[in-house]
Amino acid sequence: MKITELFDKGEFVISAEVGPPKGCHAEELIEEAKKYLQNVHAINVTDNQSSVMRLGSLAVCKMLKDAGFNPIFQMTCRDRNRLALQSDLLSAAALGIDNVLALTGDHTFIGDHPQAKPVFDLDSASLLHTMRTLEGGHDLAGLDLVGEPPKFAKGAVVSPCSDSVDAQLVKMERKIAAGAEFFQTQAVFDSEQFIKFMEKAKEFGKPVQLGIIIPKNVGMCRFMNNNVAGVSIPESIFDELKADKEKTKAGITGVEIAARIIRECKPYCQGVHVMTLGWEDKIPSLMEQAGL
Amino acid sequence: MNYPKFVLKDKAELEAALAGKDNLYVVSCNKCFKEIEMTDEPEAAEFTALAAELGKKITGSVMIDFLCNSVQTEKKLADAIPEGTDYLVIIACGLGIQTVANQKDIPVVAATNSLNYIGSHGMALTPKTCDACSQCYLNLTGGICPIVDCTKSLLNGQCGGAKNGKCEIDGKKDCAWENIYQRLEKQGRQKEFIDQPIQLRDYSKINHKVITEYVNKIRAERLEGFYGGVHPAERKEFTEAIALQKFPEPDEVIIPTSMHVGAPATPVVAVGDTVKVGQKIAEAPSFISANVHSSVSGTVTAVEPRLHSNGKEVVSIVIKNDGKNELHESVKPAGKSLDELTKEEIVEIVKEKGITGMGGAGFPTYVKLQPGKPIDYVLINGSECEPLLTADHRAMLEKADDILFGLKAVMKAVDAPKGIIVIENNKPDAIELMKAKIEGLDNIEVCEAATQYPQGAEKMIIKRAVGRQVPSGKLPADVGCVVANISTVIAISDAIQKGMPLVERIVTITGENMASRGNYLVKIGTPVKNLIDFAGGIVGDDVTLKMGGPMMGAVLTNTDVPVIKGTNGIIAVPTDHTVEVKCLKCGRCSDVCPMELVPMNFAKYVDAGNAQALLDAHIMDCFLCRSCEYICSAKIPLVSKIGAGKTMVMELKK
Amino acid sequence: MLITTLKSRDAIAALVEGKAFIINCHGCKEVGFPEAEAAEMEKELCEAGKVTGIMTTDYICNPDNFKLRLKAYLPQIAEADTILVLSCGVGVQTVAEIFEDKKVCAACDTTRLPGFQGVTPLEVACDQCGECYLTMTAGICPITACSKSLVNGPCGGTKMGKCEVDPNMECGWERIYRRLEAQGRLDVLKCPTNMHDFSTVKATAECKQSE
Repeated sequence: MKITELFDKGEFVISAEVGPPKGCHAEELIEEAKKYLQNVHAINVTDNQSSVMRLGSLAVCKMLKDAGFNPIFQMTCRDRNRLALQSDLLSAAALGIDNVLALTGDHTFIGDHPQAKPVFDLDSASLLHTMRTLEGGHDLAGLDLVGEPPKFAKGAVVSPCSDSVDAQLVKMERKIAAGAEFFQTQAVFDSEQFIKFMEKAKEFGKPVQLGIIIPKNVGMCRFMNNNVAGVSIPESIFDELKADKEKTKAGITGVEIAARIIRECKPYCQGVHVMTLGWEDKIPSLMEQAGL
Repeated sequence: MNYPKFVLKDKAELEAALAGKDNLYVVSCNKCFKEIEMTDEPEAAEFTALAAELGKKITGSVMIDFLCNSVQTEKKLADAIPEGTDYLVIIACGLGIQTVANQKDIPVVAATNSLNYIGSHGMALTPKTCDACSQCYLNLTGGICPIVDCTKSLLNGQCGGAKNGKCEIDGKKDCAWENIYQRLEKQGRQKEFIDQPIQLRDYSKINHKVITEYVNKIRAERLEGFYGGVHPAERKEFTEAIALQKFPEPDEVIIPTSMHVGAPATPVVAVGDTVKVGQKIAEAPSFISANVHSSVSGTVTAVEPRLHSNGKEVVSIVIKNDGKNELHESVKPAGKSLDELTKEEIVEIVKEKGITGMGGAGFPTYVKLQPGKPIDYVLINGSECEPLLTADHRAMLEKADDILFGLKAVMKAVDAPKGIIVIENNKPDAIELMKAKIEGLDNIEVCEAATQYPQGAEKMIIKRAVGRQVPSGKLPADVGCVVANISTVIAISDAIQKGMPLVERIVTITGENMASRGNYLVKIGTPVKNLIDFAGGIVGDDVTLKMGGPMMGAVLTNTDVPVIKGTNGIIAVPTDHTVEVKCLKCGRCSDVCPMELVPMNFAKYVDAGNAQALLDAHIMDCFLCRSCEYICSAKIPLVSKIGAGKTMVMELKK
Repeated sequence: MLITTLKSRDAIAALVEGKAFIINCHGCKEVGFPEAEAAEMEKELCEAGKVTGIMTTDYICNPDNFKLRLKAYLPQIAEADTILVLSCGVGVQTVAEIFEDKKVCAACDTTRLPGFQGVTPLEVACDQCGECYLTMTAGICPITACSKSLVNGPCGGTKMGKCEVDPNMECGWERIYRRLEAQGRLDVLKCPTNMHDFSTVKATAECKQSE
């Protein structure tokens, strides 16, 4: 089902994100999803996340769909030129996968195959434009598609806590102009910053899902602060994590923090997107504490 | 071969780019890598016509050679753009557009699209290209590039697309792999290819970091000290460790009356006269001239025109050496210490003893010592940037005290508070010694300069050592500097301390084709032939002889010519066989010209006989350092063209 | 403009079968040639008795001159089993074509300096993309200043204004944004989605005229 239909109905849309394994067996991933992700509206499947080669997003989307979930096919422009991207979009449509999240993709240099040729024939904005073009019944070359054209829920990402928010807003507007219908954000740890961002972003009139990562420990937060683009974690969260080490280790503190951020931001957004990073099992308690 | 780097955007594109924009100032790049006639590039005129059609106001325009040369572009755009300009329209490749955009706050409009070539052709424009993949595969492929010659850049053999040996995307293009197989077969290397491991390209080798570091390093080095310059192979190791030796007495000396800039001296001896060492034999007739003295004792056998190293016949005094080396009575110390001498007395000694600049040009030194302007610095030129030569280097090592004495004398003569000895960092022993010698002297310092030709030129020395720029057409004194050569200050020291006129100098005899090499104290007037014979003659049969260094030295076709005051070396080097091809407008000459000129234009204007254009392009600033000719990828004899151009300008001025 | 770097000693040693004749190209020396390293490597080969001769020239890519200078070395080349060329790929290919029957080897790797020959390597680069974006981007090239060559704005990889590929590299789009903002021209980014046209290579080929 198209996630946009949920937004249209006024639902507060919850999605989680899973990363395929390096190998051809996704059974465990599906089992985990069955255990912990029954109550989310949709599941994002990452596409060679961080430029690390893994099982393909489209295959895992199909497996999730067969297991009764509503997958969101994440698509980066790093590994495919416009022929492959269009072809994969048609493949997705043929398999009944109709939620696509367009990303530019991390550079190959930072992944596990730095020798690879980075493609970037298209970028996130032009990929959205490509989807819209296919929906119009023809491809980028202007040639007609056979039969009923595909229809996608076209998603994109934005970083509300980026150190260059202005440039992010410009790109967001460009993505909307190119056809983006909904947004998922980079992980937010500072509600105030997110709310400030949404004051500007709400003018665009597109639904935005708040990005959430459950903070696991101080080390992880420090790493993200230093290395992950668009993430900035305030000192107060470090203090909370340091306060009770056992509680933090058990994930209780992290879930509390994440739930609080969701509660604070909920009035300003249209959904939440949780990047689980292996803590799928925390999703049920997170949703409960966040009042979702 | 024509490789245009950019084309004007078409009318529709330009109309869109200019929508809502007006008051345009047009900057166009007027030179780039193209093997075409040297005329103005046509795009600027095309654009102007189109802008008129679109009803746009143009506030002005400028054509600049090589917009990508940021140093020169900045200078030329400094005051060019008039008030009321809203947009800069740039007609250039992306480099030129970005260069201007980085320098100006006014928004730029790119009026052109850069063209997309696969690979970079060589400096001299060949049909061959190199894609600079960072992992050269030519060793596997018999020297045929699979990256650029195969349209798919395949590394492990052909695809299935070739038909009759031609590529699937272009029926006229050879399948590169077909050619590779044939060549490997010819060389019997197919097995070698088959046994190679499977090749995967590594795109991470073309790394932003590596490239940025490289560019930054190049930029820093290029603009340190002075703009431009080159690094010819030094080959100083031939002689730099060989101590000075006295050159054997010549049987006869031929002393020209003109070894300096200005009027020839008037002979004051006649055939049959007996002369002694240091005796004045010709006298300066006017302000810009220099006295000439005998370097031997003996009998004058001729006063007649003799061949000079400049290729002309010059009145010379020929003296038969009696070998006794009797000193003339005028050769006696000044009799006063430096402190006691007045500056007028110093100038008088330098004038009387016939001292001229010994770095090559030969300007009368006493004229320099009366600048008529306040002087802040006396700079001693110990750069010796000419490859091969080591005369000044040896002088610094063996005559350091004389150098210091001479420097102090010059400082006194021009009232300079500060003296600086500038030495290139390829002579660390000389730097060390000089630093030790000046210890405790707070008005003299040693400046270490990076090794870069032509560091030894007056204007370069000044820029490097004190950061002052001598304006076009001006002299060092105009920026408060006097520059003197190492040998010149030694001569000044000898003149004051011993009363000895300039009758002897240090000459480096060297070069790949010289049988033996060394640094010698040679009497002025000694025939070059003697030097070569003493060195054991010339080795090899395709040799060029030069007086001076390989860059600025004069080619010698006759070895009867004598050593003169400015002779710092006699070199024998392999002849360079080149053939001039049409200028490719590669821009390397303007990149290396230390005077920030565009030498290729001189060649163009000389060929066209346009003296006014030469004058306007500041040809008179050129001091013939040969950097442009050295770097020229088309091998145009720029120095002789510029020489001809200077003559044209002199005539125009008359 | 190209950067030439010497291949590893092992790689070069593996190339030299029997005796080698060495050709150095110093034409681009003033911008980039590993002169000192090359001299050292050549000295080692000479001492090992593996060299029949060394020739140092400039602009091998100017074959008229190169062939003229080559004449003096033909006997030494005839003696050699391998010709080792220290130059960019153009030079190696030129030599390989002249000596089709000989094993001609490249002793260097040539790395692309984005942006072709200006006059000297510049802080800015032009990738000859055939579709100049500089009007839209305030004169900062999105093709070369952005490591992903994005033409519709920044990716999400910027951290503190720096690129995800190299923390020393400024985010090109951040710079573009700032400069447009300073010029009061942010509106230009409201243009339709850009899609880069890679087929301009063909147009270029048509423009290039051969002799």
